[in-house]
Amino acid sequence: MKRFQKQFWLGTLVLVVASVAALLVHRDWHERLPAYAYISGWVLFGFMLLLALFNARKKLPFLPLGRSEQWLQLHIYGGFFTVVLFLIHLNFRLPRGGFEITLAVLFAIVTISGIVGLLLSRALPRRLQTRGGEVVFEKIPAIRHSLRQQAEKLALGGPGGSPIIAEFYVRRLAVFFAEPRNFWLHLQESRGPINRLLADLGDLRRLLSETDAAVLDQIATLTRQKDGLDYHNALQATLKLWLFVHLPFTYGLMLFTVWHIVLVYAFSGGAQ
Amino acid sequence: MSEQLPAPEFDHDNYARPNQAWTCGHAAEGRCCPLGPDRLGRCQATFECQPVLDLKPGETKGRWRCTRSGGVCELGPRPDGTCCRPIPPCSPRASLRWQRGRFTLAVMAASLAILLIVLGSPPLRDRLFNPGTVSQPHSGAAFAALAATNHLNMSCGACHLAGASGPRRIVHTAFAADPSPVELVKLFSAAPAEVTSLDGHCQTCHTSHSFHQVTVVTIACTYCHLEHQGAKMKAVGDAGCVFCHGNAGTMAAAATASQHMLPEAFQLDMVRHGLEFPAPHPAQGFTEVIHGFADDHPQFRFITDHWRDPDTLKFNHALHLTGSTIPDLPNGHKLDCTFCHQPDASGAFIAPVKFEQNCRVCHSLQFDPATPGLTLPHGRAEQVTAFLHSLPQQYQDYALRQGTNASELATFASGKLAQLRKVYGLGETLSQQVFLSTAKTGPDTQVGTVNGATRPVFPGCAYCHEVKHDAPGDYQVTTPVIYERWLNHAAFDHAKHTALACEKCHDAVHSTKTADVLLPARETCVECHSLRGGVVNTCATCHEYHKPLVARTN
Repeated sequence: MKRFQKQFWLGTLVLVVASVAALLVHRDWHERLPAYAYISGWVLFGFMLLLALFNARKKLPFLPLGRSEQWLQLHIYGGFFTVVLFLIHLNFRLPRGGFEITLAVLFAIVTISGIVGLLLSRALPRRLQTRGGEVVFEKIPAIRHSLRQQAEKLALGGPGGSPIIAEFYVRRLAVFFAEPRNFWLHLQESRGPINRLLADLGDLRRLLSETDAAVLDQIATLTRQKDGLDYHNALQATLKLWLFVHLPFTYGLMLFTVWHIVLVYAFSGGAQ
Repeated sequence: MSEQLPAPEFDHDNYARPNQAWTCGHAAEGRCCPLGPDRLGRCQATFECQPVLDLKPGETKGRWRCTRSGGVCELGPRPDGTCCRPIPPCSPRASLRWQRGRFTLAVMAASLAILLIVLGSPPLRDRLFNPGTVSQPHSGAAFAALAATNHLNMSCGACHLAGASGPRRIVHTAFAADPSPVELVKLFSAAPAEVTSLDGHCQTCHTSHSFHQVTVVTIACTYCHLEHQGAKMKAVGDAGCVFCHGNAGTMAAAATASQHMLPEAFQLDMVRHGLEFPAPHPAQGFTEVIHGFADDHPQFRFITDHWRDPDTLKFNHALHLTGSTIPDLPNGHKLDCTFCHQPDASGAFIAPVKFEQNCRVCHSLQFDPATPGLTLPHGRAEQVTAFLHSLPQQYQDYALRQGTNASELATFASGKLAQLRKVYGLGETLSQQVFLSTAKTGPDTQVGTVNGATRPVFPGCAYCHEVKHDAPGDYQVTTPVIYERWLNHAAFDHAKHTALACEKCHDAVHSTKTADVLLPARETCVECHSLRGGVVNTCATCHEYHKPLVARTN
């Protein structure tokens, strides 16, 4: 924690100093340097490339390019600084024309998705630690399948089983064990669904013999485990799904940016 | 050396391969196929074993042997050598990572497709790449016609070669530009306002592009004129002017250069608006360093150079506006500025004062107190002399106009002349009274009247005019020269200032001499034309930059 805080304050300090320096340079030079817009554009493009290289770095773990954690810090604080550079390049005005607006929208999508991803990656792992230890995301379907089989075996075990439990399983639990449930409610940290299910199991318990009640207790335990698994599934999926916006639109942005550079030069005063 | 721990709970029969693009369709059931899907996501499951053919020496057919890892199955291989226990195929599932990669490719493909579609359609291309609305003069029908005569395209291609090109040509143009995308160092050494190729396109239509002073260095059109800013082309900002006028070095160089040039070289060929005061060209030219009108714009030259109005007309503004002897106008109103100073047809300028319209209402030029209807003509001195020499005829004409019988005209005229001779004399004596008498020397100090009173209205011409008298009968009245434009380098529109009272800018009520130049000082203008005043105060508000059309044709 202490190390994280040190990193946070150091990164924030560097970001603030760099941003103020960039703004001062902008104030003093944006009217004095004739090609200021070109220079600020190239600096911005350089930072965008640097940020995009973070993904390439992850694909080349064998190269001695520094620790991935350092790259992540660089990506985060560099990302915020790139927003400042973007505003400077725009000279703090709204974008004009279809192409500029498209570029700005793509930049906004990438930036906002990145910030959302950062917030999620800061908040969700802490919440995951409070519910059921570590679960490998890719193994969740198999574990869910196992829980379902166990629950079905208990509820629909055979001729000696309780018809009340079997009826309850078919009516309420079969759907619950069949697939991930309550995705959005888990993200909102709501325990309403599982509490209602457990309350129904509690009501049912009063109608059962001791033997059947013991079986029902085991089913209740499996139900709690399944709910915990759904919780992990919801949060871990969210941790992965934001990248479905951030990464593809980053490449789209880079493509449009390259064409933007070509257009700027093709339509510049120096072009024939 | 620490002991290496075994991997926990590693199940060799349930190898899920989560890092691979495809996972076995049975992974969700906890029983992955050991082989797993191939790279393209196809299930590779066949049979539980691959039987081996045991062929003993001398045998031709041999016997298939089961090689199942979990133990030999009961039925064994089929006669054709295939396993009798086929593995049910699965539907491999793509990993999230693979799906994300495919989605990324799809987004990139879509982006590329959008770009190619746009590039392939000129109307779409123009619309998407246009960073802002082109001004009406550069986009209307008139421009289309003009562009056609210059063999240019109507669209972006009129100004940008790349605008009329496809993607390949656009890329080629970009890399042929100066500087090109690979010449980053050049960006730091670019000179401000440097003339570029684009300026050449401007001058395709804007021929004879000339600047306002001969000492001015040529700067790029686009430095001052910003296109793509809306249908109405954005007004030229101060930055373009301050680029030279705010630069002490440039101004000093211009001042030095101008010392070796004749004043005629700086003669402005402005479109004339009325009679302009012939202000001399300053020895140093207009080379004071200026950053803004409200900041360090020099005081107007009529103040710093103590200009005096050389007009010979004797006019006292203070007397006319505040004098107690000034009678009311026929409509009962007091005399004010607007009675004499009315805007011209454009409203921008004030029409010249006319004697007949503005002066005669008080200064009727009546000379005979008994005959108020007969007045002297106003104009040339010769006309007045001729009038006086023909007084008998003038009286007869007057009597005729009044309805007197023809037989009595001569009697009427002789009677009037006798009365006039008795009071003022006739001939040269009367001429001297008419031409030379002033308020102090005239027979009566009543100068004018508007109520038809019969008092004589001497003094004469010299009361207002410079009259030269060298010999009897020779009177020369100097024609007044009333300058209408004093600050010739600036434009002013009275119509835009009608909300202000005249005296706010023109201190006429304190002016007793014709020589006073009744214009406002810079400070008066700055009260409104400044950030504090809230009214626009750019250089272009008052000044033109290019020589107007008159000059271009020279």
